[in-house]
Amino acid sequence: MRIENKSIREINSLFQKKEIKPSELYKQVFENTAQSESVLHAHLKLFEEDNLNKVKLSDERYIKNKSLGLLDGIPIAIKDNINLKGYETTCSSKMLSNYISPYSATVINKLDEQQVLYTGKTNLDEFAMGSSTENSAYGLTRNPWNTECVPGGSSGGSAASVAARSSIAALGSDTGGSIRQPASFCGLVGFKPTYGTVSRFGLIAFASSLDQIGPITKYVDDTRIIYHSIRGFDPKDATSVSDKPVIIPSNKTAKVGVIKELMEEGVSEDAKNEVEKIIKLLKAQGIEVIEVSLPLIKLAISIYYLIAPAECSANLARFDGVRYGLRADGKTSYEMMERTRAQGFGSEVKRRILLGTYALSAGYFDAYYGKALLARKKMIDEFNQIFKQVDYLISPTTPTQAFKAGEKTSNPLEMYMSDLCTIPANLAGLPSISIPTGLSKEKLPLGVQIISKALTDDSLLDFSEMIEKEVAFKEEPSDWIK
Amino acid sequence: MSNQFDIDNVSKLASIELEETEKNKLSQDLSIILEHVQAISNLEFDISVDEVFIHPLEKQLNLQEDVVEEFLTHEEALSNAPESKDGKFVVPPSME
Repeated sequence: MRIENKSIREINSLFQKKEIKPSELYKQVFENTAQSESVLHAHLKLFEEDNLNKVKLSDERYIKNKSLGLLDGIPIAIKDNINLKGYETTCSSKMLSNYISPYSATVINKLDEQQVLYTGKTNLDEFAMGSSTENSAYGLTRNPWNTECVPGGSSGGSAASVAARSSIAALGSDTGGSIRQPASFCGLVGFKPTYGTVSRFGLIAFASSLDQIGPITKYVDDTRIIYHSIRGFDPKDATSVSDKPVIIPSNKTAKVGVIKELMEEGVSEDAKNEVEKIIKLLKAQGIEVIEVSLPLIKLAISIYYLIAPAECSANLARFDGVRYGLRADGKTSYEMMERTRAQGFGSEVKRRILLGTYALSAGYFDAYYGKALLARKKMIDEFNQIFKQVDYLISPTTPTQAFKAGEKTSNPLEMYMSDLCTIPANLAGLPSISIPTGLSKEKLPLGVQIISKALTDDSLLDFSEMIEKEVAFKEEPSDWIK
Repeated sequence: MSNQFDIDNVSKLASIELEETEKNKLSQDLSIILEHVQAISNLEFDISVDEVFIHPLEKQLNLQEDVVEEFLTHEEALSNAPESKDGKFVVPPSME
């Protein structure tokens, strides 16, 4: 097996045994990038030359048996809404085309402790608003499995980078499915941790009560290694949690609930069949599987499209041409701000800012934002009740396989529906993972989503790893891996 | 609740100057989205907004002590400014 197809633990073992050097792996991933990047456009910036000294030092540490951890010398790509000191962080927006991060995000500082090699900054939907990576001001990213299709979004560049083996893993951010949906579209593992377990400090905010950073990887164990490296309480993030992880005793006694509302109309037969396949595997393991109902899930998209735009309209108020980013000409400060925001933001970002502004405005606050908060609270209560009956919930990750570029761009509501299955876990702050389980007739990847109780991330990863072993999904987008 | 979206008022509140063609397209899109989310505004709940936490794990926010700490230098804080002078951000006048 080629080195870049191996798991992080296997690669680290080869580094330790001095059978391969970090510099050789680093060279290989950039050779892969050279083959694919002009077609896929997974990255906004590549750092090949910038890391040469860092790679050499990593080689030397392994020679001296003084490596800094499992991630020492591992090439990882970073979504371009996460600050990396000294580099551009554009959020795929014209607004931040000239912004250089003066500091690094907490997740970057944590990965630096192990001297991870950052391969580049990956493309995204502008300010992480979208489900296809078509909303980037710098051009779309294509799906390595079929370049006519989107890679999903908003972390589509991160998913395409890992799928094309331009990096061993990537960081993304997930506000309504932006890690899990692209991971599913690209045949990868995508994990949104429990809200508050990974610091958001240095992640450019979209919707603060929903955003969470997490990994996109080929294997569940790679996700575990990265999650363990980036999690932890951070006083710089007011929503960071210091609670200890909660463990679900044993996989053998686990009870699983199939979410009825996510196996109905609006979800393709292909997506449902993948869930049925996993249910069979679980039952063969002696695991009890029952159908459960969470009625408010049917309102999740409506709740989300009031809360997320409301928070985004407040968060993006900071882009006013004063302290950073684009500035348009204007005779007065107010004219300058209005023009800066007109020229700097793309249409989806404007749409969400205006929607959020409306939902928060006098006369509409109670009817829209206020009601959405109440409905969200009731949905959280429904999840809490269900988790008294079952340990894990299962559903498709996405209603369909990856769709074609341009297919949903003219109808925003249709695009929003592609996050139908992933949004509920964000609203409730729950850990949720997508694991690849098979290919459709059109040879596009499909995945299933597993959700568990808040803070049971480690158990969720163990349970997902068990499913991963049973499924043994070995397919890869062969065009890019020669 | 009417779904008539006063695009001029909302774009003013959001400080975004819109062109006429943009206004028409955005008004149309937002009316469709508002129609979809209308179901929420018609619901009645037995709780009030005061009982809702912003944190989905229903936790209080961890606010830091109001103590000055070294983070960015003055120069770093100004390094991305479109215009600065004498250690300050420069903006156009408030009034013509």
